[in-house]
Amino acid sequence: MGRLLSCLTRKHKRFLAVAALFAMGGMLILPIFLSLPALAGGGAPAAGGPPPDVVAAQEAAKGEEEGEKIEMGRDVYYKTEGPAIGMPAPKTEDNELHYPRYNFESRVLIWVANQQHLYYGSFVLAVPIFCMCIEFAGMMTKDKAMAKKYDQLAYDFIKISLTAYSLTAILGGILIFTFLTLYPSFFQYLSSIFRPVMHIYALLFVAESGTLYIYYYGWDKMKEGLLKWLHLSMSVILNVIGTVLMFLANSWIGFMMSPAGVDEQGRYLGNIWHVIHTALWNPLNVHRILGNMAFGGGVVAAYAAYRFLSAKTDEERAHYDWMGYIAMSLGVAFLIPLPFAGYWLMREVYAYRQQMGITLMGGLLAWLFIIQATMIGILFLTTNYYLWQALGRMTGGERFQRYIKYLVFILVVGLLVFITPHTIVMTPAELKAMGGQQHPVIGNYGVMSAKNGGINAIIMTTILSYIWYQRGNRIPTVKWAKFGNIFMGCFFTVAQLNNIWLACYGYYIPANVRIGLSVPQVAGTLSCLFFMSPLNLAMLKGGKVLGPIQWGRIPPRSQYALIMLATAFTWMMGLMGYIRSSVRLFWHVNEIMRDNSPWAYTHTIGFAANVISFNVLFFWISILFVFWLGTLGTKKVPVPAVEPVPGAPAPQPAVSR
Amino acid sequence: MQTVLYVVVSLIICIAYFQFLDWFLMDMQGLDYFYLFR
Repeated sequence: MGRLLSCLTRKHKRFLAVAALFAMGGMLILPIFLSLPALAGGGAPAAGGPPPDVVAAQEAAKGEEEGEKIEMGRDVYYKTEGPAIGMPAPKTEDNELHYPRYNFESRVLIWVANQQHLYYGSFVLAVPIFCMCIEFAGMMTKDKAMAKKYDQLAYDFIKISLTAYSLTAILGGILIFTFLTLYPSFFQYLSSIFRPVMHIYALLFVAESGTLYIYYYGWDKMKEGLLKWLHLSMSVILNVIGTVLMFLANSWIGFMMSPAGVDEQGRYLGNIWHVIHTALWNPLNVHRILGNMAFGGGVVAAYAAYRFLSAKTDEERAHYDWMGYIAMSLGVAFLIPLPFAGYWLMREVYAYRQQMGITLMGGLLAWLFIIQATMIGILFLTTNYYLWQALGRMTGGERFQRYIKYLVFILVVGLLVFITPHTIVMTPAELKAMGGQQHPVIGNYGVMSAKNGGINAIIMTTILSYIWYQRGNRIPTVKWAKFGNIFMGCFFTVAQLNNIWLACYGYYIPANVRIGLSVPQVAGTLSCLFFMSPLNLAMLKGGKVLGPIQWGRIPPRSQYALIMLATAFTWMMGLMGYIRSSVRLFWHVNEIMRDNSPWAYTHTIGFAANVISFNVLFFWISILFVFWLGTLGTKKVPVPAVEPVPGAPAPQPAVSR
Repeated sequence: MQTVLYVVVSLIICIAYFQFLDWFLMDMQGLDYFYLFR
């Protein structure tokens, strides 16, 4: 194969690359094309015609007139009428038919299988997106040496994800077998509801595998000119396929939490779009894609930290320091909007079923939310800590050291407000000692108005830390530098004060007005990000450089911070997945299909925390194995000794010769 | 003197921007930002 490719002319290569790109695009569209007959028969609104459920209702009415009886059902969410063409949700019983089992709790087995598949799935969704960004950055960079480094970094990333990709597929297989073995009735019902799109999911998998392999193995054959652009286009298609796959998977959990497209007996009413587009589908999509990206960045940063700590030479240390920094930056870029997406998801949960929201944040699962808030605080504190440590690799970074304590103060105050519980379970003696269900002073911080202020203060401070990092070894020399500095200082100060003002104002107005204040609070924080970062870059253009960034000259504890960041991400994903899943209480599908297994109760917080921690440990042990496999390949690559920092090895031909 | 001028101008711009943002985004949601003061 390699010999064949090497004797092709440039023209042939171009033709092949264009053909491959069209094939990938075709594979992306193929499932949609194949499903056209299904969609036309009641999948999605046809252009210019009435919606399919209306058509189906009319046809059913016509059928009734002709004597044949088609029962009509009413959509539990959209409240539209439709012919009940599906089977009702099975009424399960605690027996071997509905819940076959081993001598172990089935729910824990499915929990572990699901969580591991999700960890790897989100990793292989995020890493190709990073690859695309980094490869694009390399193509846009005018500095040739830097462009080569970016390209090598993207190649390193995709190499890690290739092993993880096969593990994801294996775990997906294990998950399906676990469902079929332990929850056959539930799985049969869910797959009957999603039957019109199940084959799309499978075909997209084939398309993703094909695209990924061509993208990886074609790397060195397509590294210049038009071919490189075609290669980048392949990564765009790869990521679109990956994202659509995730959206489809999200529609299943969205249906389980907030079912739509079925009547109260769970019978499918003929409109697949209603089944997919449930109340929580889009909030879940946005929150999950941001979360996956932050998680992927964290894992790659941890990989770089692991390689940094085990590096033998300064060049290796420099390369992995740089890699860790890039991965961390990408991860944090998605971490910053993540709490806002989470807030939107919770707001939609409350809008869908107020009781569900109360169970999550003011009832059975509220204590887990306090743990979550603590973890979010740890994530942001660790990010800031890493940035402050990273100032040490620059000449001039020491200018900022004496101001860091003020940032620590803001971060800690914001965190303490953010993690204050509203009500906690207490013994009568504790209740008496505190003087009531809530503390007379700090009890006031246990409401959303204050917590929104707390998290926004934390995020603004993180943005400020990043701006300082950008300035680490540079001094602005533009004419308006003095005004720029004063304006930036005023902007951050007023943004923080406005945030505190809105948090306080919320206490004096009714809840329906107060909930609207979260929008200007978020907008204020995003204003800092989107206005101050470009302003800072504009000021630094042509600025005085105090010295080069000395990659690799960073204390090892910064690398432990990166590992902690990744572990906290993993822990939090496990925790929030458990919360989201257990809010259904004793329902498989909320208010439609009841869970009658012996494990329909909600676990104790301690037990849940142990299983979540086991999942984290299992994931990290297995991903360390993947990392180790990655090092086996790179040992064969000759490292040029006189490469300028960060010393990246040259890309290796990926095909056999 | 120049520094004081810069600070005053910056504060006026920033406060005006954030207060407009607060009012505008509440108004977009059909809510009254000045609820307490009416």
